[in-house]
Amino acid sequence: MTPRGRFLLATTTSLVLAGLVHIGVVLLIPRLAEADSLSRARVGETLDHAMPVYTLATGDTASPPEAWLPIPDPAVAVGICAYDLADGPMRVSARTGPLMLSLAVHGRRGAFYAVTDQAAVRGGLDLVVLTRAQYDEALANADENDVTRDVRIVAPDAKGYVVVRVIAALPSQRPAANAAVQAVSCTVDLPVEDKAGG
Amino acid sequence: MNAADRAAPDRRARADGTPGRVVGAVRRAIRRASTVSLILYTLALGAGIGLATADYATRGGYPFGGVTVGAWTAWPRTGSVGADPYARAVNARRSEIPLAVGEGMLLTAAQDDAGQGLDAACTYAIAGITPPARAWTVTIAGRGPRDPAHPSLREGFTSTEILREPDGRFVITLSPEVQPGNWLPMPRASGPVRLALRLYDTPVAASAGTLDRAALPAITRTGCAA
Repeated sequence: MTPRGRFLLATTTSLVLAGLVHIGVVLLIPRLAEADSLSRARVGETLDHAMPVYTLATGDTASPPEAWLPIPDPAVAVGICAYDLADGPMRVSARTGPLMLSLAVHGRRGAFYAVTDQAAVRGGLDLVVLTRAQYDEALANADENDVTRDVRIVAPDAKGYVVVRVIAALPSQRPAANAAVQAVSCTVDLPVEDKAGG
Repeated sequence: MNAADRAAPDRRARADGTPGRVVGAVRRAIRRASTVSLILYTLALGAGIGLATADYATRGGYPFGGVTVGAWTAWPRTGSVGADPYARAVNARRSEIPLAVGEGMLLTAAQDDAGQGLDAACTYAIAGITPPARAWTVTIAGRGPRDPAHPSLREGFTSTEILREPDGRFVITLSPEVQPGNWLPMPRASGPVRLALRLYDTPVAASAGTLDRAALPAITRTGCAA
């Protein structure tokens, strides 16, 4: 092979290699990212209420700098509840108020479930995120006469987060929207045996 | 390749110095390159181009997956499990929490209806209706971080606070100068700006491909400060 041919072969090979590297890097970014929302959500995992991610500016108080959404909606307060289903099923309870509220469950690959306050039963929205095994266990242990109003969702991965969004339609509703995000409770659901005893 | 071609760079090298000398040096290097150096060259070029293109494709906005409707681009799937790998990489890099399909939908506009980029020095009328949604917000943002010395009076409107015509239509005037009615001030003195329309709790997210141009507000340039 001529030197020129060898050089062309090397260049062509490197282009093929570049394509492989490109695809590999793009696929690996969400997994390796350290500043993505899934990793940042881990910080608030021990909290029993939603961790505020974007707090609305009220009056002269500007939105606090802990906000890490790139282009947030200035009328929507955002909170986040990280879950790790290895600890047990995650229960997210929200009381509905006059403001529009929505809950979205995000896994590693994206949001797989979303529900708004229109699905609330008697002013409450109870979401239980569980793994397939925990779901089967909950079904097996369920009392047939007991009517549950929980919305049970089987998560594809053990780790993820629930996003709470509350919309303040008017600037005067912003403090209420911030409070509504904080009021959402996210707790690890106790195993059924413990509950039956207590 | 004929002899005349091969001789050409040498002639140029003598004629105009440095560029020709570089070409000559590259040619000599190619002729003398050993297998090891060629392999190293292949690996370095492959890794370099691969990393650079991956960085370019996942920097800033979503490279594809948008549905263009008039001046607006709808992003129905960026937050769902069915999002493409690029959208997921962009979300991870920007630490974005995208709207889920059942939650709402994001639409962005960087151009007016005539196809010209939105410029902070110009005045625009955003007029019409929105697709059905329980609530929506229109917000304006410039590229890059906000200027702390120039705080914005207003960044957007919600569907509740906007002033409407008797028939339910609305007109938002996007301008650097104070305007009557729904005035949305420009976030910066100059440069490109982007509009974002977020529809919350909307049935449209599941069928963004069928959105009609008339169902979204039209963006018309009404004048420029120049």
